[in-house]
Amino acid sequence: MSQKYYLLRNREVADIDRMDVYLAHGGYQALKTALTDYKPEELVDLVKKSGLRGRGGAGFPTGMKWGFLPNDGRKRYLVVNSDEAEPGTYKDREIIEKNPHQLVEGIIISSYATKAREAYIYCRGEFLFGAEQLQRAVSEAYAEGFLGENILGSGFSVDLKVYRGAGAYICGEESALLESLEGRRGNPRLKPPFPAIAGLYGGPTVVNNVETITNVPAIVTYGAEWYTSMGTAKSPGVKIFSVSGRVSRPDNYEIPLATPLRSLIDDYAGGVLPGHKIKAVIPGGSSVPLLLPDKLDTPLDYESVLQAGSMLGSGGCIVLDDSVCMVGATARLVKFYREESCGKCTPCREGTYWMTDVLDRIERGQGTEEDLDTLMDIADNIGGKCFCPLGDASLGVLVSAMKFFRDEFEAHVREHACPMGAKLYDTVNH
Amino acid sequence: MIRLTIDGQEVTVPEGTMIVDAAARLGVDVPVYCYHQALGPLGACRMCLVQVEKMPKLVTGCTTAVAEGMVVHTKGSAVEKGRKGVLEFLLINHPLDCPVCDKGGECYLQDYTFEYGPGHGRFQEPKIQKVKNGPINDLVLIDQERCVLCQRCVRFMGDYVGEEQLLLEGRGVETVVTTVDHQPATSQFTGNVIDLCPVGALLSAPYYHKGRPWNIDRHSTVCPHCPVGCSSLATTRESHIIRLEGRPVPDRDWGWLCDRGRFGYDFGYHADRIADSWVKERATSAAQATRDVAEWMQQTNAQYGPGSIGFVMGGQFTAEEAHLIKKFAHDVAQSDNVAVMRNVRGYLPAALNGTFQDLTEADTVVFVGVDPYEAVPVVHLKLRDRLRHFSQLKVLGVGPRRLTRDTMPGQDYLVASQDEAVFFARALAAAAKDGPGVQMLVDSVRDYVLPVSDEDIEAFGHALVDAEHLSLLWDGENAAMAEVLAVLAGLREKPTAVLPTFGPVNWRGYEQAGIDPRYGNVEELLNKTRTGEIRMLVLWGADLTRDLPDRQLAEQALAKADYVVSAQVVPPLDMPYIDALLPVATWGEVEGTYVNMEGRLSIGAAGVQPPGQARPTRTYVANWGRLFRQDFGLDDEWDPFDSAQGDLIARAGNNQGPAQAVPRPGTRDASQEWTIIEGDWVMENGMPSEILEPRETEFAARVSPEDAARLGIGEHGGYVEAQTAGGTVMIGVQRDPAIVERTLWIPRGSRHDWAQHLEGLVKLTRPEEVPSV
Amino acid sequence: MKPEWNQWAREFKEQYPGANSALMPLLHRIQAEEGWLSDETIHDVATLFDLPESYVESVASFYSLFFRNQVGKKVVHVCVGLSCALAGSDRLMENLEHRLGIKEGQTTADGEYTLLEAECLAACNQAPVAQVNLRYFEGLDPERADVLLESSKSPEEEVKP
Repeated sequence: MSQKYYLLRNREVADIDRMDVYLAHGGYQALKTALTDYKPEELVDLVKKSGLRGRGGAGFPTGMKWGFLPNDGRKRYLVVNSDEAEPGTYKDREIIEKNPHQLVEGIIISSYATKAREAYIYCRGEFLFGAEQLQRAVSEAYAEGFLGENILGSGFSVDLKVYRGAGAYICGEESALLESLEGRRGNPRLKPPFPAIAGLYGGPTVVNNVETITNVPAIVTYGAEWYTSMGTAKSPGVKIFSVSGRVSRPDNYEIPLATPLRSLIDDYAGGVLPGHKIKAVIPGGSSVPLLLPDKLDTPLDYESVLQAGSMLGSGGCIVLDDSVCMVGATARLVKFYREESCGKCTPCREGTYWMTDVLDRIERGQGTEEDLDTLMDIADNIGGKCFCPLGDASLGVLVSAMKFFRDEFEAHVREHACPMGAKLYDTVNH
Repeated sequence: MIRLTIDGQEVTVPEGTMIVDAAARLGVDVPVYCYHQALGPLGACRMCLVQVEKMPKLVTGCTTAVAEGMVVHTKGSAVEKGRKGVLEFLLINHPLDCPVCDKGGECYLQDYTFEYGPGHGRFQEPKIQKVKNGPINDLVLIDQERCVLCQRCVRFMGDYVGEEQLLLEGRGVETVVTTVDHQPATSQFTGNVIDLCPVGALLSAPYYHKGRPWNIDRHSTVCPHCPVGCSSLATTRESHIIRLEGRPVPDRDWGWLCDRGRFGYDFGYHADRIADSWVKERATSAAQATRDVAEWMQQTNAQYGPGSIGFVMGGQFTAEEAHLIKKFAHDVAQSDNVAVMRNVRGYLPAALNGTFQDLTEADTVVFVGVDPYEAVPVVHLKLRDRLRHFSQLKVLGVGPRRLTRDTMPGQDYLVASQDEAVFFARALAAAAKDGPGVQMLVDSVRDYVLPVSDEDIEAFGHALVDAEHLSLLWDGENAAMAEVLAVLAGLREKPTAVLPTFGPVNWRGYEQAGIDPRYGNVEELLNKTRTGEIRMLVLWGADLTRDLPDRQLAEQALAKADYVVSAQVVPPLDMPYIDALLPVATWGEVEGTYVNMEGRLSIGAAGVQPPGQARPTRTYVANWGRLFRQDFGLDDEWDPFDSAQGDLIARAGNNQGPAQAVPRPGTRDASQEWTIIEGDWVMENGMPSEILEPRETEFAARVSPEDAARLGIGEHGGYVEAQTAGGTVMIGVQRDPAIVERTLWIPRGSRHDWAQHLEGLVKLTRPEEVPSV
Repeated sequence: MKPEWNQWAREFKEQYPGANSALMPLLHRIQAEEGWLSDETIHDVATLFDLPESYVESVASFYSLFFRNQVGKKVVHVCVGLSCALAGSDRLMENLEHRLGIKEGQTTADGEYTLLEAECLAACNQAPVAQVNLRYFEGLDPERADVLLESSKSPEEEVKP
């Protein structure tokens, strides 16, 4: 399938992580265009017109976010969230490892648009190679005069630093990320104030996802109309979907929004593994509810997926087939949230611990009918009552699995064993 | 102001008020764990979930500020379900060991579970095991399994006290509260975390398994350990005080205590407590001792006439007891020679005496000779509170050592104690030369050489004169400061408050009872004794050799008196001179009034029996009255609150005459290599405590780090030899960066014998052999 | 304290408007040399930042990649995220445990290997995956734990985090 790439340009151009190659393929032209042809406000308008939405998971309109910064003369910051750790999501990692210059270019343009004097890439601690690639790209950009003082003679200056996290999913939450970047425990902050008002070092701050920012050079190059020509009116443009699980060709796929889920799985990812049937799909990373096969024709845009009962989220699409035990899969995901809960607030800290244990027990055939009701009630006691979104995120798959596959949970109880005979979900012992 | 409705009741509160506090104004209780008004919102425990109309989810009342027209419901099924859920979560990893938990019956986890919680637990999984009864230090225990991670303790020690000795370790459900490197916390405010802990996680080590709410009594009282007089609650069981807790006073006092006060309640049962009477070095019954003393008094009076008996009040007696002594002296013993024991020479008229409220409004605070952290620790906390709300607070120290510190940053002006008043006078002359009295003040010290530059002197003067709200803490060491402070207050048109940090703790109460507390008074009384005008001394809690700055006068007076009667709690240093030692009831055993350093009257409660034959002052006085066969009216109508305004003493009556010149300090003997300075340090206030023994140090004197290095004194202190006029003594010293070179700091009124034998200090040397500790 | 730590601390601090931002970079740097962060290291770092020790300890203990206990020369992180689990990460872990003679969370007696679970390592298309000293090993055969251990010994993979 031949395809034009706007984000994963490494798929078309070998070694585009090198400055010379990137430049030879039109790299940093968008930066030059932005600095010469646009005032910062015009760039904000351009991004607003493009309809670009945050690709980290929440889908908040990027231009609008930029517009929240108060005009009070304080030093502004742009922080790029590269703390990608949502199970099933691995798109940002490909960008930073293989196409880092486009991200850097996007950061410089976005800094110009938001009048940020300093920018940071907060890179997940586990992404050692990614951080090295970014650091190299940043150094090369400084050498070319794309970063630092008076960039390309425009009078605009911005510095960019690569910051390594050290192993904490919660730092993907923007206020926890800022805490971490300031050298503290990654506990989410009380809001308000929001980062736009008081973010990094108390200054006005925009926090954007890697993929979001990587879109910016393309939007500058090809224009807002080009961007809105793809996808839907409310969800325009392209998006990278990370497909994994029980499919033939698990990989990142850059496709226009509103591409049907079925097409992503069948046409791009090669379909479910031979001899199997799709049981359910987690369309947007481990935090979102399951979709059943009857929703496979759902267009992958923010509104349609919401309409179908889930969320587009980060675009991490995990395909579960008929070989997968839903109890085990759910246990595995909930355990992730237990491990990654920061521990600050009670429902998330204790609730994820409890749910993991109950799920593990059910999976091992030691659950009771009562446990199923208890699980749903624990979920209800977590839902909407936590300090930050992590607690709610732990419920997406669980609540939908209990809704769609209650019989499977009950079978575990009834048969005192996992009917699938799976033993890969012995979660607690590890 | 914002108007909102909570549970159908309308309330108007200032903007920025959190829902929980607005509800509290209506008497609506919203349960909280992590929220504490002194520490601010955190939003961690989620216990305070309430429903706000037009908001899609429940919100936490501690992090949600009120808004105009807001409609809040703290009841209803959604809120109840939310609370129940949070409580169930808090209990799943909780050991549910209430039967063996000291907090049982005093625990918010129990209370809220009882009121809002689930009736039964559904959790069947294994609980996470953590440390039980691990030490925070020798005084505070932590049971990590009972901890609800509200972070009150961590935030208190870190944000509030500024001594970050507690921390959250780990992440998620494995998070625990612990100490740095798992080593004991050394701050002197650690005990407050016991009061702050809403559950049974942080416990008092000395109270451990000592009482249950149904077999103890709690008495509202005040702490007797320093002039702050912190409001507190004494827990008693079987006539023993077994615990002291802070007692918050709404809108005024958070109820903090220092560890000295919180854990030093056991002096009444200390092995050293005097429980028997001794007459001429022989044990006897209290009744016999009382008769003997009465006879001596009668005999003295008969032989030498009125005024031949001198009475000196020290110790921790109540104002009422001081009144009884004064009345007995006048009515029965026919003497008006009644004085208050003093260990410094300064005195502050009530008119200049500020309150703690002044500290919460101050923009400039000056420490004159006193380090509040050591002398009046909770004042240090009050200043920390001010600093949290007003980071521009200007802190200035004036004295012979550094008085500001990491947790109370500011600027120090290092001048000798004897030069403090000169420094102030000159500063005023530089910044307000036309101020009333200023020229007079500085008259005889204009050319006196100070070790501070003229610019610094002038800058300090401007800081004094220009402060919007000036508060000064004064140790009373330099008596001439009283004159300076009066002139300063007179020339400033803005609030000027002085808080005296000197003792004895209830001197202001004794003053209210009609006893002149000025140093001149006790000095005159002892001079009269030395010259034979007074023949008999009755020392009520006073220990002359320990405390009087003029040790020679003390010894001469004691030696000269025909009879020395001393009523004490623990053996005084005066012991060799004493003819009759009387065991007397003290704090906690007698109810009565204490007046603290802000002139506030509080009632100390009587909760326990005095031990052995110890008896209240009132009993002694009544018996003597009877033995004198006089109709001695004990039941007069004197009431210390009579002249007070509310619970504060009257401030009027400052009949300050025209300003007096600050006297020119005598020249120092240049040949003296070392300077000895004294300071108040609560741990060394003379009251013994078994509980606090782990905190006590033999190395109570201090030298600069440079001198410590020269003397081979390591991090934890050691012994040095002091060569003095009277010979060589071994003293325990430690290094302290607050002390300047060639200066030896010793605690005022130290219990260490060597502290009394340092006169004419020539030098300190490294001992040949270090005695093992 | 190693003499160069002071230099590193100064360099890192210069890079950020808030000095404490340099804390994690310095901890990373020191751990890369020392392998882990001992109590002494925490104490030294606190001194370098003029921070309370409790602060540094609390921060370090929050992040799973800062090791507060001694670890092996090679830290093996086996991804146990759902996608890897579906591809047999549990068997991979079991095989590694068997092969190294230790349980997850433990270090071999010779101090060579520490075996740890990792939450999703963002390489789900290559499941199951593992990292050795944060270098990826992708598309592993769960039954061939030895491949991971052998290849991680090759010199070019010997890169410290």
